[in-house]
Amino acid sequence: MFALIWKDLILEARRRETVTSLFILGVLILLVFNFAIDIQSDNVAELAPGLLWASIVFSAMLGLSRTFLVERENGCMTALLIAPLDRGSLYIAKFSVNLLLMLVFEAMLLPIFILFFDLPVAGKLLNLIVVIFAGSIGLSSIGTLFALAALGTRARELMLPLIVLPLQVPLLIAAVKATSMVLDGASLGELGIWGTMLAAFGILFATVGWLTFEFISVD
Amino acid sequence: MFRKAENLILKLSPPLVAVAVLVSSLAVFMWVPTDKALGISQRIFYYHVPAASTCFAAFIGAGLASAIFLKTRNEQWDHAAHAAAGVGMVYATIVLITGSIWARTAWGTWWTWDARLTTFLILWLIYAVYLLLRAFSQGNEMGPRYAAVLAIAGAVNIPLVMMATRLWRTIHPKVINNPQGGIQDPRMIATLVLSMVALFTLFLWLWALRMRMLRLGDRVELLLADHYQSSQTFSRSNG
Repeated sequence: MFALIWKDLILEARRRETVTSLFILGVLILLVFNFAIDIQSDNVAELAPGLLWASIVFSAMLGLSRTFLVERENGCMTALLIAPLDRGSLYIAKFSVNLLLMLVFEAMLLPIFILFFDLPVAGKLLNLIVVIFAGSIGLSSIGTLFALAALGTRARELMLPLIVLPLQVPLLIAAVKATSMVLDGASLGELGIWGTMLAAFGILFATVGWLTFEFISVD
Repeated sequence: MFRKAENLILKLSPPLVAVAVLVSSLAVFMWVPTDKALGISQRIFYYHVPAASTCFAAFIGAGLASAIFLKTRNEQWDHAAHAAAGVGMVYATIVLITGSIWARTAWGTWWTWDARLTTFLILWLIYAVYLLLRAFSQGNEMGPRYAAVLAIAGAVNIPLVMMATRLWRTIHPKVINNPQGGIQDPRMIATLVLSMVALFTLFLWLWALRMRMLRLGDRVELLLADHYQSSQTFSRSNG
């Protein structure tokens, strides 16, 4: 399992394709929002959390749909499936890689985001990072599960955002709420139900993925 | 077991549905008193609420049937889930439309981003994608399993969606189990129960029909494949 994670990370470190394109897409989405919505200094605090998550979600979708594409392109899917490894571990490995890549991408996007919208983050940065981390767990757990299913259909990459976007609405609501509370200066303990929901969503869908992945990965 | 249940439902439900729909429609339009505050528009509630509860039951049932399908690999369970989600979608659409009509008269707007409206829209989208996924994976033997995982994820997600959107904001009236206001008149409650029975038996009927359709569709495909194979051997032996 760790070998698998390591392999994917080395691949990405050598090619730097995914993270770079995600980062550029993320910046582009921020740019589009900047023109689509009139952002002034008096409404930026309200809008910023939503903008941040919108660009994370849409960019992440692109990265997630590539999860199994690499294996298929290189003809490694069959090898992966006949390897003496249970399917739950395969899921956990792919999920971890997606999560790590997503975190790298977010680490690149966040400074730009703070800079663009001139957000006062002093003293709140650590909490903000925790919230983004928790949201990313939920996003990658659900995305990894359906990346394989989407690839199996005729619509291919088109299918993944269609499946994932409606399912992750509770996560998105919780993430946006928690982010705006953190930016208002709330501590992690004060997030209450939203913090719980963020964590619960990640754990719940990682479990669903771990349990059901074997059924959709049999070829 | 499925064939038996299906035959039983198909035999019993047409007369039951006919009586239940007739009686409940009479109750809704002729018997039940008009709501003092909301007026005539409140009567749509007798279709809106039963459709919503049936639809929830259908989606949760589809999730359960999908889990059993993954475990047992018995495709009858897959058909059960497929049929429940399909008919459930029709009900969800009814809920959205009746709700919209009512909202126009009561709130003065066709749509607001209220919690339950949002919840229903999200559920509608999840199961629309479910049906889309089925369409896009037709002919793929893994298709039913992908759909099953989505149905399970969707059912698991329902309480989260409800909780998230409810905490987000709500102006939707709470009518059942609400000590202040809500429906008090016993005739209103009786009408609601009648409508529930009518819409639920109608659901069962449609569900059984859809199940039979899916099963027969499978058989047609098998027969066609058989036919092509034998006609190929025939032409080959002739040529």
